[in-house]
Amino acid sequence: MDMELIQQIRGKARSLLEEGTVEGVIGYERAGDGVTSRPLFAYDSSAAERLIFDDTCTHNLVKYLLGKRGKKMAVMVKPCDSRAINLLLNERQIDRDKVFIIGVGCPGVVETEWNHKSETLQARCRSCLLTKPLVYDVLLGRELARKAEEETYSDILEAEAESVVSRREFWREQFSRCIRCYACRQVCPGCYCPVCFAEQLEPLWVGIRIAPEENTLWQTIRTFHLAGRCIGCNECERVCPVDIPLSLLNRKLEKDVKELFAFQAGLDPEEPPPFATFRKEEMPELGE
Amino acid sequence: MTTREVRTGVYICHCGTNIAGTVDVAAVSRYASQLDSVVVARDYRFMCSEPGQEMIKRDIKELGLNRVVVASCSPKMHEPTFRKACEQAGLNRHLFQMANIREHCSWVTSDREEATEKAKALVRAAVRRVFYHEPLEIREVPVNPNTLVVGGGIAGIQAALQIANSRHKVYLVEREPSIGGHMIQMDKTFPTLDCSACILTPHMSELGSHPYIELFTYSEVEEVSGYVGNFKARIRKKARYVDEQKCTGCGVCQEKCPWKVPSEFEMGLGQRKVIYTPFPQAVPNVPVIDRENCIYFQKGKCRACEKFCEAGAINFNDEDKLIEVEVGNVIIATGFQNFDPSLAAQYGYGKFDDIITGLQFERLCNATGPTAGNIQLKDGSVPRSVAIVHCVGSRDEEFHDYCSRVCCMYALKHSHLIKERTDAQVYQIFTDIRCFGKDYEDFYERLAGEGVNFVRGKVKRVASADGKGLDQGKLMITAEDPDNGKVSQVFADMVILCAAIEPRQDTDKVARIFSVNCKADGFFLERHPKLDPVATMTDGIYVVGCCQGPKDIPDTVSQASAAAAKILAVVTKGKVELEASTAVIDEVLCSGCRICNLLCPYNAISFDAEKKVSNINEALCKGCGTCVAACPSRAITHRHFTTEEIMAEIEGVLV
Repeated sequence: MDMELIQQIRGKARSLLEEGTVEGVIGYERAGDGVTSRPLFAYDSSAAERLIFDDTCTHNLVKYLLGKRGKKMAVMVKPCDSRAINLLLNERQIDRDKVFIIGVGCPGVVETEWNHKSETLQARCRSCLLTKPLVYDVLLGRELARKAEEETYSDILEAEAESVVSRREFWREQFSRCIRCYACRQVCPGCYCPVCFAEQLEPLWVGIRIAPEENTLWQTIRTFHLAGRCIGCNECERVCPVDIPLSLLNRKLEKDVKELFAFQAGLDPEEPPPFATFRKEEMPELGE
Repeated sequence: MTTREVRTGVYICHCGTNIAGTVDVAAVSRYASQLDSVVVARDYRFMCSEPGQEMIKRDIKELGLNRVVVASCSPKMHEPTFRKACEQAGLNRHLFQMANIREHCSWVTSDREEATEKAKALVRAAVRRVFYHEPLEIREVPVNPNTLVVGGGIAGIQAALQIANSRHKVYLVEREPSIGGHMIQMDKTFPTLDCSACILTPHMSELGSHPYIELFTYSEVEEVSGYVGNFKARIRKKARYVDEQKCTGCGVCQEKCPWKVPSEFEMGLGQRKVIYTPFPQAVPNVPVIDRENCIYFQKGKCRACEKFCEAGAINFNDEDKLIEVEVGNVIIATGFQNFDPSLAAQYGYGKFDDIITGLQFERLCNATGPTAGNIQLKDGSVPRSVAIVHCVGSRDEEFHDYCSRVCCMYALKHSHLIKERTDAQVYQIFTDIRCFGKDYEDFYERLAGEGVNFVRGKVKRVASADGKGLDQGKLMITAEDPDNGKVSQVFADMVILCAAIEPRQDTDKVARIFSVNCKADGFFLERHPKLDPVATMTDGIYVVGCCQGPKDIPDTVSQASAAAAKILAVVTKGKVELEASTAVIDEVLCSGCRICNLLCPYNAISFDAEKKVSNINEALCKGCGTCVAACPSRAITHRHFTTEEIMAEIEGVLV
């Protein structure tokens, strides 16, 4: 643990709270197992003393800003998480002047489970090219020179090469395990509709029966609603209790959107999203 | 509606043999009668005829129908007819649905069996859809009788006078210091060869003193809000530095001003003073001070104009003023700009002397122009040969595909004027001569007989002919026949380029201000190219003249009169009907992302910062459905195109 960085974080949180700049600080603290970490909502300077940061801090805390709309909050943001900030600014879900962003330099996050921390970097970290958050009010820790591997989408390309039948079989098997707990939705910073389609009854977009057909429909619509919006934090896959490889779906769409519209979500808070814009050059077959 | 039993009547039209020739209409009718909620199904030779409509009305009354489906032609054709019939029988017009079994069915196949099956499917879809229809309220709003006309060229002048003569108020906004537009720059008009200024100035002065016209020159419209019948416009009246009330138009200030700059009105061929009216017959006859070039504004010394002005009209402290007007309708008549031929290097414009545009030539041969009407070269000598090049920037893949429509005729007019006043040889270098208008062919025949040389070809290069013996000092024009590739060379002292008519540079901005659309070529888009050529998709906003597409003076005047007549019809009626099939936002579902705000082509959606949700102004909404499709939270419903209605229709086709 980088104690110097942690002291900086605690110091910053303390002064923000004591000076009344923010009502609360959303950060990380050590989890009950003494090994992994969990989110911490610090509303006074004594709670701020529990803040930590290390390579187990996987949560994308930006999601919690959606529940604190209207309140001035500080939030700890890793480089990857900062894309979620940009996404929510772009979609006008948060006000920039209501959020104090504590950017932290990140060496990458490792795979963990309760009471155990591995040495393996998470897959998304291996191809992360960000050396510091894209947006922040204060940057703590060092900006890191990264030797990331280029994102080649090799697993996606492999999956695309499979036949339709085998792909269908694969996903049928995966989705048959889905218990529709909606954890993937709850953790996603891009899922914030006041009433989710999955819970609308008139019309009933997707049946409530927990069966492969309905589960498939749920996951398909969920994924498409994130096309051009998923910022790749992969929290959905991490929290899935039945280990459905959701990143395969999200990254497939990320790849398609990149190829079709040269767009990646969360890089720019102002650039209009591809599904809310139309440019003639996107459809050359329309002619003049 | 759900508490009441749904009773549907289905009517299958034969359309003579148009439908009945391919579709087994009796079988479709029998099939329809068995569908859920259908009380009666009939087929008839012409449903749109008087007896056909009567049949529907009678059934509504006698059988208590509360839904009607007609399977016939395109709704574009007869939906209004049948909606009216329903209304006359006391049924809301939106409880009607049309199935197109002609264009979508009988006309696209000769296979009787397939056509009949498809007709059944389309009827089934319509019956299922109409089940969910709801009566929509038709609302009317009062119309403000005032009109805003933007642009003071011939189009704006014509429209403004016509409306004002019916004793309805017109606000005319012109960007330049005087009205008159391009027409006042021209010398003669084709094909009659009458003087352009002579026919225009009486209208200009009538307009200037008209009791029902308020004229804003040197002004621009900055913002328009509202909807048909109830627009608000903000006009910026630029600082003129001359008091319009005090100025007597004596012209002493212009005489005494010691500073000269190239005149825009003379197309750079002459000069004007820094305090100026663009031309002697300007309306209003009140000069402006060109602040950029005024020595007093730039260096703090001079004030000659102020010293000599007996009326005390000069006001160096003048400021821009913002004026709000309320109007019911708007006419956009912002005109065109000329293509800049220096963008096409082959024409040598700007590189050699004595290469001018058609509009520059108008000034050159005008008696009030910089040479007092003498056609002469830059060195003052009279040209012995003149080449007139057609289609410069028009009908050219690199610039504009379209034909500018007026060049052929004014090129002929120019050759006549040259022949009349000089002994010069005239060459018309053309691709095709187009004489489409009334009396234009006669004009062509007449001028062709005056000894003009016609050379077919697209110009490849204009170069100096120096070093070619006799042609010393001349320009050499190389042209290639687009059909057979034959190359011609013409030597001339002067070259006149017929530069294309193109949309003004700020067309996009203007389109945004008035919520109108542009075509790919940049001109404003009319509602229908044939049947509604001056209206736009935004009710109450009209486009006339060259801002809608290149056209000559007679066509421009016709359009201006057409728009005026359309507006007077609305003003006389006093109220307008609003679209009932609009979009509506469910505040509970809206997440306030504002994607719809940006996409709405009619500026109908605004954001409520208090509630953090978007709102649709139903008076502005045209029911295009863009926001409905774009809403990520499905918070927007399109009345008459609800999810239930569309789903029911799709299921009806598929099952």
